[in-house]
Amino acid sequence: MRGKMPSPVNPLPYTDTKPVGAADFYFAINATFRFVLKKAGIEGLRQYWTDLGARYFAPVTAQWKAGGLPAVAEYWRAFFAAEPGAKVEVSQLPDAVTLEVKVCPAIKHLRAHGREIVPCFCQHCYFIGEAMAAPAGLAVRIEGGNGSCRQTFLRRDAATAAQDLASIKEASC
Amino acid sequence: MLGCYDFCGHYEWTFEWMIQRGGEPLLREYWDEAIHRDSQRHAMELIGSKGIEGMKEYWGHTLVDEGAGYHCTATDTVFRTDMHECPSKGFLIRNGLHQHHDYCDHCMGWIGPLLKECGWVVDHEHNHCGQCWWELRRATDPTRPGKPGEMSGEHDVRKSAGWLPPHGTMDVYERANAPHDKTTRKVD
Repeated sequence: MRGKMPSPVNPLPYTDTKPVGAADFYFAINATFRFVLKKAGIEGLRQYWTDLGARYFAPVTAQWKAGGLPAVAEYWRAFFAAEPGAKVEVSQLPDAVTLEVKVCPAIKHLRAHGREIVPCFCQHCYFIGEAMAAPAGLAVRIEGGNGSCRQTFLRRDAATAAQDLASIKEASC
Repeated sequence: MLGCYDFCGHYEWTFEWMIQRGGEPLLREYWDEAIHRDSQRHAMELIGSKGIEGMKEYWGHTLVDEGAGYHCTATDTVFRTDMHECPSKGFLIRNGLHQHHDYCDHCMGWIGPLLKECGWVVDHEHNHCGQCWWELRRATDPTRPGKPGEMSGEHDVRKSAGWLPPHGTMDVYERANAPHDKTTRKVD
């Protein structure tokens, strides 16, 4: 990982006693998306993601609002360090923070265990990330998916084009 | 991205999101359909095919992965777990997360229906402080749970100093298979 060294304060708002999470919880995340999609349709699922980003992750938004792009980079470094199997390069550039997701830990684990992945799984990164970023004056744009992608967090006024959802790949086993 | 490190946090948040949209029936359906039948289908496969040996295999793996402080005791007819430090309730308590009125119900929400399909019933108590115990028996076995220490000795969570909750109530399930099968009793 490149860029600024993380501060000694943990940038994760919710912390655990173990250093990394239990990967089988990715099964439940995938199953939850499938359940909400079945019950509420794609717009309902996108609303669930947006609500998660805006409410559950509100403490992260507050950190980003106060600390700007350096806080964004610190958060994602800490986040991926706690996700088992993640291979992600976080770079802080003058006007953006990029996440080069070389190995998505969730897709990797779901595939390894033969789980059927909700096709729109990768869209959750956009809808949650955008809901977290917007109140902090930031935006996220994503390209790729299905195991690897590039996520760019930038100032909202610099995000001239809306996210093209077609540029986020469908996920599959 | 939604991660597994703080899974218990957004899982508990999701319970309340479900209730706001479809009430308790939608939440119970979520636990049964998404968690029991989809996410944890490997538990169904193990327990359905191997019974108590499957329980040992399943909970031995998952509770270690989740960092639980627990003890399991099994005979040929009963599988008992004493949970001294529930990893997920502990996560919520340490982080001050409390969206849903009783997070602990989620275990019975998915495990209860799973065991019912396999022909088992559950005796269980939880104190909402990260401690609980479970005894799983075949539905055809009328045996009631023993007194504290009878099955798991010093590992019995009911013998620990923190067992009685400070708010004075305990949630109790007797030969149950669903989250609404519980009664709440005063313990002071």
